[in-house]
Amino acid sequence: MTTKQVFEYTRHAPDHDDPVHGAPMKVNMGPQHPATHGVLRLVIELDGETVTSIDPDVGFLHRGKEKTCESLGWHKFFPHTDRLDYVQPLINNVGYALACEKLAGIEVPQRGNEIRVLLMELSRVMAHLIYIGTTSIDLGAVTIFFYSFRLREELYSILDAYTGHRMNNTYVRIGGVYADVDETVEHMVAEFLETAPPRIDEIEKLLTANRIWYDRNRGVGTISAEDAKRLSLSGPNVRGSGLAYDLRKAQPYCGYETYDFDIPVGTVGDAYDRYLVRMEEMRQAIRICKQALERLKKSKGQDVLVEDRRYVLPPKGDVHTSMEELIAQFKIVSDLRLPKGEAYHAVESSKGELGFYVVSDGTSKPVRCHIRAPGLMNVQAVPVLGKGRLLSDMVAIIGGLDFVMGEVDR
Amino acid sequence: MVIVRRKELSLSERLYLPEIVRGLSITFRKLFEKPITRQYPEEPLPKNEVTRGQPRLVVKDDGNIACVSCGMCEVACPAYAITIDGGETDRPIEREPKKFEIDMLRCILCGFCEEACPKDAIFMSDELELADYSRASLIYDLQKLKRPKSALQKRIDYVYRLNNRWRKSSSTS
Ligand code: SF4
Ligand code: SF4
Repeated sequence: MTTKQVFEYTRHAPDHDDPVHGAPMKVNMGPQHPATHGVLRLVIELDGETVTSIDPDVGFLHRGKEKTCESLGWHKFFPHTDRLDYVQPLINNVGYALACEKLAGIEVPQRGNEIRVLLMELSRVMAHLIYIGTTSIDLGAVTIFFYSFRLREELYSILDAYTGHRMNNTYVRIGGVYADVDETVEHMVAEFLETAPPRIDEIEKLLTANRIWYDRNRGVGTISAEDAKRLSLSGPNVRGSGLAYDLRKAQPYCGYETYDFDIPVGTVGDAYDRYLVRMEEMRQAIRICKQALERLKKSKGQDVLVEDRRYVLPPKGDVHTSMEELIAQFKIVSDLRLPKGEAYHAVESSKGELGFYVVSDGTSKPVRCHIRAPGLMNVQAVPVLGKGRLLSDMVAIIGGLDFVMGEVDR
Repeated sequence: MVIVRRKELSLSERLYLPEIVRGLSITFRKLFEKPITRQYPEEPLPKNEVTRGQPRLVVKDDGNIACVSCGMCEVACPAYAITIDGGETDRPIEREPKKFEIDMLRCILCGFCEEACPKDAIFMSDELELADYSRASLIYDLQKLKRPKSALQKRIDYVYRLNNRWRKSSSTS
């Protein structure tokens, strides 16, 4: 005997999986998600495919960098700054060094500053290339990823030839930089500055008028300049909204006021504008590099480290022969002290205002070291920008805000 | 201040198909460019005196290491990778390390030990590859760290050149 079963759908209990009438669905994006550029967890509440609320959960990459600084001491923190925003270690190095120098009241020699500017601008290009590579791969353009990483590879070769490392360079010291650039490096940089602009144009040719890139970025994550300010955004994110705020112009350091460059700003403030701003910033960075290279040719042979035996190690040869230098060597390595007080110095990193706030009580260990990471503010903007958008827009928004979790969680 | 130009799509760009052809032509041209891929293990990375590889102890021409176990490198190391146990010796330098270990798994190749050493005993070599089957074997002891001076000579010269050229010696403050 067969019985015919009749399925009857009842609407008594809500069907949670029903995308139209069901309860809002919670989706975890991350912590392991290729589009979150690190380990960021976003708890997204969805109504159908529309995002109703986003709750970013940061801290997966927390390594206690600030506390580490307080226990390691002034000089030994440099390698740790590399690992904050690991796509631009040299900018982080300089930011921290500037805060310490402000506290110690020392002036970096001119050539030291020129090298710092050169390295910082190269790092900026490097960081923006990573932005363009990873964001485009998230939005489906794999080619751009290869093109931009190829260009970035050349930059890494330059850093390898100059600092001996590709990443995590640790080449800035309190009072200057560790070593001078020599002719080989200068040639490599000059060659890069020649070959890079056409390659950047090429990337732009493939993206700017690309229908997919265009549709997925235009009008996505729009934020007004007022709101951007209220969210403490900085860097390309706030410039995309039309606010020409750049620390290199607003609070010049390392002699940026003497370089000739423009701040690119957007008009609408969407992800597309932020992309355009970053592309233009790369060109401006190359412009600054060219000027810095010119100056380096003129200042050949000058000091790159300040001569101050309180903070800077004596030359190696002298340590063997002079008792004074030997004592200085021991004192600086084991007990580098910065004067009592506090200092804050911010640099314009590729992500925005990267600030270091250091407090000293006159001993060899900082009392407090706070890092104002622009990435954290960028993450804070994700819920604001993503609300009411489609889930797939989240990828474009996260990519467009451009943060590195190493710096956000620190 | 420059205002970035937002492009509006032209008809052919909106149609997308002609753009695919244009994009493919860029890709196609790449076929004839010089490949830059490096076949890594067969084709190693360029190494020179600037390369900051793993730290190594210099063995002088008389067969002894220069280290007097002053502990400066231990203090300077931000990764707490170095462990030194000093002891007396009959050699004129009076002290030498009984135990000198660098935990290569902790070492971040920062070069601070090289900078800190007052006896030119430790230098960054150009050895970079690091692989083994157990953690214990990657804690390098004296025997594994020793390198003849000739192997590190290029780096020593480089460091001295830097110091002499860029840090003109002066009296202390
Ligand atoms: S290697 Fe140099 S710094 Fe380290 S203990 Fe020996 S002499 Fe001192
Ligand atoms: S290179 Fe740096 S981390 Fe490695 S042993 Fe020397 S000081 Fe320590």
